[in-house]
Amino acid sequence: MAIDREKIIEQMSQIEIVPDENGIIEGFNVLVNQLPAKFWNTFADRLISKADEDMVEAKEYLLYNAAHECGYHTGYGIITSEEWDAIVAPMIEKAPEDVLYGAYAVFTAWGWADSEIVELVPGEKMVVRAYDYYESDHVKYGKSSRMAAYMIAGVSSAFMELAYAGEYDPKGSLIGKYECKQTKGIEAGDSYGEFVVTKA
Amino acid sequence: MATFIKNELKIRHDFDPKTKRHYDNGVLTVRHCHHYSSLYSQLAIDANETELLKDSASEAFREILSDYYEKNNITAIADKAELACRQFAAMGLGTMKILNINEHSGEVELLSSHTDEGWKKKWGVYDKPINYIGAGYIEAVFEVILDSPPKSFLAEETQSIAMGAETSKFKVIRR
Repeated sequence: MAIDREKIIEQMSQIEIVPDENGIIEGFNVLVNQLPAKFWNTFADRLISKADEDMVEAKEYLLYNAAHECGYHTGYGIITSEEWDAIVAPMIEKAPEDVLYGAYAVFTAWGWADSEIVELVPGEKMVVRAYDYYESDHVKYGKSSRMAAYMIAGVSSAFMELAYAGEYDPKGSLIGKYECKQTKGIEAGDSYGEFVVTKA
Repeated sequence: MATFIKNELKIRHDFDPKTKRHYDNGVLTVRHCHHYSSLYSQLAIDANETELLKDSASEAFREILSDYYEKNNITAIADKAELACRQFAAMGLGTMKILNINEHSGEVELLSSHTDEGWKKKWGVYDKPINYIGAGYIEAVFEVILDSPPKSFLAEETQSIAMGAETSKFKVIRR
């Protein structure tokens, strides 16, 4: 594998994302926003914490699904972007595996989570570890009884679909071919978050 | 003679190589796409939690605005209003025009909007306003500029780009 994770992170993290004259940021085939992490965390944490116990799972799924769809379309936008072609594509020796390794370096550079693949069985299973991520920031003391990295989990499912579920479909018909379970979480007292993606 | 542009928004961007986190003016920020913001908006509508989405936005944006005004010694209402519009654009949320700020009310127009245009790009025109993130920002602007506590103002969307209008409009009233 020729993917140089540190080099990708260093270069991708320095790309300036600037709005156009209308205050809109177009890039990676999507409209991009740069909002405080606190906004996303506050909504997710309160949505789940105020839900009736029988509704928690359904609301967690909606948060996961938001990231799943986002990850599918934005992930495709990233791996077909000029920036990807310039920085990551020359390092790819074996597709789609190297694409996945490169995608997590970009994932990290974007500030979503300091994460990497620690196990990959092509087409079958992927295990991702995240050593630092904003979705754990809502826990200020102690450990939560609930894992809450819905964004990392959703995007991880999407990345597997982009790699192994078939040609990208702008309508998203392949979303749901893979699923991700979070098995460890910094928010739950573990030293890192762990995410296991398998076929749905 | 050099001209000092008082309402020029200054953003210092830092990437922490240790934690791999991005900060704008010291505030942890994260890049997401219109799919994510649209799905959060849809989720809030479906779960009847639009007020929660608006409050979450308002709380997060209050900190950014008040911190910026304080650190940069911005005191004039006109400067604060102009900078609030520039901050809105810097986050990629669109072009905001504050038409008036009164003691107890006001009007705001969005000439472009990430939330609305993202929604239309994803799902097409909708039959209800959807920009609760923008409404939360507007409430924060009025509260911070008029030195009022959280939840002092209510921003209601009266015209919506997501519904097909050319611009979005918000009516702001003191609660």
